[in-house]
Amino acid sequence: MEHDTALDTFPKLLHSHVKLRPDQDAIREKALGIWQSWSWAEAATEIRALACGLASLGLKRSEKLAIIGDNRPRLYWSMTAAQALGAVPVPLYQDAVADEMAYVLDNADVKIALVEDQEQVDKMLEIRDRCPKLEHIIFDDTRGLRHYEQDFLHDYEKIQQLGVEFDHDQPDFYDQEVAAGSADETSIMLYTSGTTGHPKGVMLSNNNVIITARNGIIREGLTSQEEVLAYLPMAWVGDNLFSYAQSYVAGFCVSCPEDATTVASDLREIGPTYYFAPPRVYENMLTQVMIRMEDAAKIKRDIFSYFMEHARKVGVKILNRESVSLKDSLLYKLGNILVYGPLKDVLGLRRTRLAYTAGEAIGPEIFDFYRSLGINIKQLYGQTECMVFICVQPDGEVFADTVGTPAIDVEIKIDDNGEIMYRSPGVFQSYYKNPESTASTKTEDGWVHTGDAGFFDDKNGHLKIIDRAKDVGKLNDGTLFAPKYIENKLKFFSFIKEAVVYGNERDFSTAFINIDLDAVGNWAERRNMAYSGYIDLAGQDEIYQLIKDCIDKVNQDLSQDSRLGNSQIRRFLILHKELDADDGELTRTRKVRRNFVGDRYDILVDALYSDRNQCHVETQVTFEDGRTGMLEADINIWDAAIYPVSAVTQDAAA
Amino acid sequence: MIFFIEVVLSGLMAGVMYSLVALGFVLIFKASGIFNFAQGVMALFAALTLVGLMEKFGMPIWLAIIGTIAVMIALAWAIERFMLRPLVNQEPIILFMATIGLAYVLEGMGDILWGSDVKMLDLGIPQGASDWMLDSFDIYIEKLEIFAAATAAVMVTFLAIFFQKTRIGRALRAVADDHQAALSVGISLNTIWVIVWSVAGIVALVAGIMWGSKSGVQFSLSLIALKALPVLILGGFTSVPGAIIGGMIIGVGEKVAEIYLGPIIGGAIENWFAYMLALAFLLFRPQGLFGERIIERV
Amino acid sequence: MIEHKIGGEMLKVENISLSFGIMKVLDDISFDIKRGEIRSIIGPNGAGKSSMLNVINGFYHPQQGSITFKGETRKQMAPHVAASHGIARTFQNIALFKGMSTLDNIMTGRNLKMKTNLFWQALHIGPARTEELENREAAERIIDFLDIQAIRKKPVGKLPYGLQKRVELGRALAAEPELLLLDEPMAGMNSEEKEDMCRFVLDVNSEFGTTIALIEHDMAVVMDLSDRVLVLDYGKQLADGLPDEVRNNQTVIDAYLGIPHEQD
Repeated sequence: MEHDTALDTFPKLLHSHVKLRPDQDAIREKALGIWQSWSWAEAATEIRALACGLASLGLKRSEKLAIIGDNRPRLYWSMTAAQALGAVPVPLYQDAVADEMAYVLDNADVKIALVEDQEQVDKMLEIRDRCPKLEHIIFDDTRGLRHYEQDFLHDYEKIQQLGVEFDHDQPDFYDQEVAAGSADETSIMLYTSGTTGHPKGVMLSNNNVIITARNGIIREGLTSQEEVLAYLPMAWVGDNLFSYAQSYVAGFCVSCPEDATTVASDLREIGPTYYFAPPRVYENMLTQVMIRMEDAAKIKRDIFSYFMEHARKVGVKILNRESVSLKDSLLYKLGNILVYGPLKDVLGLRRTRLAYTAGEAIGPEIFDFYRSLGINIKQLYGQTECMVFICVQPDGEVFADTVGTPAIDVEIKIDDNGEIMYRSPGVFQSYYKNPESTASTKTEDGWVHTGDAGFFDDKNGHLKIIDRAKDVGKLNDGTLFAPKYIENKLKFFSFIKEAVVYGNERDFSTAFINIDLDAVGNWAERRNMAYSGYIDLAGQDEIYQLIKDCIDKVNQDLSQDSRLGNSQIRRFLILHKELDADDGELTRTRKVRRNFVGDRYDILVDALYSDRNQCHVETQVTFEDGRTGMLEADINIWDAAIYPVSAVTQDAAA
Repeated sequence: MIFFIEVVLSGLMAGVMYSLVALGFVLIFKASGIFNFAQGVMALFAALTLVGLMEKFGMPIWLAIIGTIAVMIALAWAIERFMLRPLVNQEPIILFMATIGLAYVLEGMGDILWGSDVKMLDLGIPQGASDWMLDSFDIYIEKLEIFAAATAAVMVTFLAIFFQKTRIGRALRAVADDHQAALSVGISLNTIWVIVWSVAGIVALVAGIMWGSKSGVQFSLSLIALKALPVLILGGFTSVPGAIIGGMIIGVGEKVAEIYLGPIIGGAIENWFAYMLALAFLLFRPQGLFGERIIERV
Repeated sequence: MIEHKIGGEMLKVENISLSFGIMKVLDDISFDIKRGEIRSIIGPNGAGKSSMLNVINGFYHPQQGSITFKGETRKQMAPHVAASHGIARTFQNIALFKGMSTLDNIMTGRNLKMKTNLFWQALHIGPARTEELENREAAERIIDFLDIQAIRKKPVGKLPYGLQKRVELGRALAAEPELLLLDEPMAGMNSEEKEDMCRFVLDVNSEFGTTIALIEHDMAVVMDLSDRVLVLDYGKQLADGLPDEVRNNQTVIDAYLGIPHEQD
């Protein structure tokens, strides 16, 4: 697929589909229990009427149209309609509260807001005083709005009618406006939340979006026959890429769910071939399956676990097209008929050829579960600032701890502090009205700081993300020290609930461990070990051995990396209490506050870096009813196994 | 092996006959919660009427069938008017007793109207062994039994669609579920009862024809109702497919037990085997194979 | 903000008295309901509120008095006749068809809108099929209106309480009633569910122009939603008027709202 410079805007792409495949479905929506669909030709008619309607309300080149609501065909059309006029669509998160919306609407200089329903209209009315530039509000669903009589409120269909009249009076207007659109014009503006300060408006040009979308299509071999369910927030760059940009570039049909609550059953009915979900969605699906299997009859459960065991053994190999024995292959085929197929059907993933996940680390066992079923799920690494794609895992080279190789046309380099930087055709124009942030993120020659620390894996040349760059430190010998990376590796073991790793500006790494009382307790009960509670269990030698085995495995893993090898955990201890948000040890979102914990238990940290094998500690704790008390314990300190670090076999891939 | 298949198949076919009677029970129980003791007698009465119309009035078969259907509908109307309506909102046990009374009334009426001698029922349903089955598989099966099975299949499909997909079907289920709510959406209980009893009457007619063709129309026909009871316990009182499958299980079980266990424990197993099976079911799965699980949210 | 047009008299209740044995449940009650209004009936437990609704839709037959509905006066009518004249209702203790799906419950609510006879129904072809499809669409509109798409195929007996209440409202709406009787539609709900239900009641009233008679215990809800409020106490009519009038009526305060007299 060559980059056709004549098709450098979305309205132009739309018209190419009207010529190429006028009657093929462009978009679908489930309404009143039935899938309604619009062909490319029908969609183009709708968009033309809406664009002209927006023009008659006075929307002009480079002015902004806010779009707020669930994934609906009309809201997607409004993007193209705005783009046809050279205006910039600004999708907002639909469940944001009115105050958050007020900031974005004002910051983006939004002139017209096109919203889904009464709920959103009410929010707009509430903040209208604070957004003096907002002139009109258009709503899609009229329900409950019958008695709203403000003259700046418009029914979507009325605007389309206005548009039809406008088009009738000035028949050349629309085509001229579309022709005037160019590759370097801003295509869309997406707000990123950012960890600090106000959200920033990322301005992406038509070229940024279209070239990146096309590169993704080329790399994965997507066609106009894909099926995609648009269910993630329209304000998120991923939805814009998967359900809008790539649909317009490749010409495939996108389906909108009936309602946020029906996504699971809509997924089943559509059976997407191309699918994206954040890790927690895959996790929830797996949990649902497991719960259902718990309730199933014993015979069904046995068949299920037998074949799932087999899938774990050979499924991933088969997916990677590695050779397996004839017997295993036949058994897998039988399993496909009896278990995997029906299971994929229930999940709605039977036809899925390509599934992506990204955003946060996905547990290896969850990842392998889907891959062993034959679902080609892959991780990607991306950012809003480059229209998603930085790295993607290549087919057949999928490893749980890397994010793959650079996407087409993407250059990556690691700076001296270990921070990942990239350059690509997708790199954004600038942050809207924010030159300082733009300058601090994007260098003169187009390199973008990701804020993530990482490196290319020695063995396979894939990019590995280890932590946020600001959290990465160094051991005294100069080895990279990425505490969260190590902690996550530890936490993938079901026995370990929390881990806190120290080592910045020290000679070696050490760890505090919180055992998972359910998992470890269960393990202990199966061995008839008696214990009276967390403290008792945490102090037992068997448990220390259990945890040591986990840590040894992590160390072995770390030793494979020349850069991280020296940060293997030398010494560890199991904490005498569970880290608790009430004691300030965790944030309310249950993230460990590493420095706070280090200060609070400085005796223990010191002991880890001494040669003592035991340490006495007294801690003040807060009980659930708010009372406080003292907790005393003698905590053992164990050494873990250290593995020789493998030598550098290849230099960082460029 | 062939012999065993023959036994099973003939059991299946006999089971279908039980199913036909059980079906009538299920319909009425589902829609009104009444256990209709008179279902067996209704089958007898329908068969008697059919034979009577043909013999005494010389009607052709098709006209006699239509006439019998009309009689069964009139009967349903009368039952609603004179039995159900005055007893509305009474305990189920009272209604059950009323159906026992109904059984005697119908038996007496049949006697008075059509006489008490055994009558042959010949509707031209093919009799004797199926040559095709005999030739191709060397298996002996009565044509009548195949015909009965086919009829049952058609009827069940028909009833399933009727119950699931139509307004009246939904209204029937609604009445079964909650009287008050059904009234509030404008369903007339009286009409629904007439419909249910009419449908049960027609089902009874079909059962009567099948049994009558097989062993003549005689008063012992009403006793097959007793065989339907274990079928219901197996299949669940509210399930149409349950009635069919329950019937087949009982049919096959009886025949297999008679042939293979009979010589060991001394025969006549066919008479009590069904009840033993039902008893076992009551112990382990009281709602039956297909009975609705009791859905209750606390 | 929301204004609806209130028309002429739709239902008039005159001197209704109802007793079971020696127990007098309603004693000489007279009031009216105007077309398009939301009319609340309040009162302590045992005040006769539900009985009043039962009289209106024909479950109970009063010994005295008359009811005029849409200009026709009668002493009593059968519930299914009341339904066919455009009165639909929900129940204090949900009365759904528990074994049936949400969709089937709502389709059953359309019973009176479907006219084809048993013959076509039995064959499930021709007019019966067309009718089924038309009514399915109407049912789907209600499902969409009440935001219950996700439970369309679920048996209602397994649904949480709040959703059951919503399905019951859906079934009543399916009949496209002129007068909708709601018996404590928000009882046992949490505040979020209550808020949703309030919105639905208002939307039904304003979007479809349905007249609503509402029994409710939550005074805030009643005062918010109602155009007029009737107060019953031990079967007697205590007060009748605008929400503000009722709120400030001394007899009502004494008997029901439980606020002591101010010292004169």
